[in-house]
Amino acid sequence: MKTVQLEQEIKALIADIIEMDPAQIDPDAHLVEDLGMDSMMALEILAAIEKKYKLKLPEDELPKITSVNRAVELARKHVK
Amino acid sequence: MSSKLAAAPQQLDFEQIKRIIPQRFPFLMLDRVIEIVPGERIIGLKNLTGNEWFYQGHFPKRAVTPGAMICEAVAQAGIVFFHLMYPDHQDVTYLLGGIKIRFREPVWPGEQLRIEVSPVKVTSTAGILSAIVRVEDRVVAKGEFALATKDNDLL
Repeated sequence: MKTVQLEQEIKALIADIIEMDPAQIDPDAHLVEDLGMDSMMALEILAAIEKKYKLKLPEDELPKITSVNRAVELARKHVK
Repeated sequence: MSSKLAAAPQQLDFEQIKRIIPQRFPFLMLDRVIEIVPGERIIGLKNLTGNEWFYQGHFPKRAVTPGAMICEAVAQAGIVFFHLMYPDHQDVTYLLGGIKIRFREPVWPGEQLRIEVSPVKVTSTAGILSAIVRVEDRVVAKGEFALATKDNDLL
């Protein structure tokens, strides 16, 4: 899958969970400090990425979801 | 699968449930757990009698089970599910992070809720769980909910 497509899909998925317009999200913005993500939202994002790409992501990947770009990196690592 | 999960009980009675969940009358919404597949699903029962406190006001002319109480039963079954996965988490408070549920049929006094909970994504501190609530073989509610744990010394 192309990185651009993956980034768009994950940004849309994250925007839906944190209730923001995807166009307003800087892919490098810190999801907690800048965009108000809480720990439950982080878990929802992890679960949504798993569901969308049919993956199993280990719990220790959760703290790595600090920005859209980090989430894309994580997904790219696991998506075949 | 850890040996703790393998050693989990196959059913729980009312007294065993009370050792897991902190809710008490009038807010204890689980009578028994009749099936436990550790890490995969549990099935809990709640028998609804016409004497339930909430029927007095919901509604005075015709008792029907409040959706909010079905949500509570689902959340309590979720606590049991989570506890059976992580039995070492003793001194924690469970918080309902959110619930998305669709109610398909009214539930009347005299009926029995059969609440099946299974994981969507569970970590050691929180979980997103799926629930299907049946009366006999009819699905009366279905949805997903999020549970978080907080150490009691943090509250």
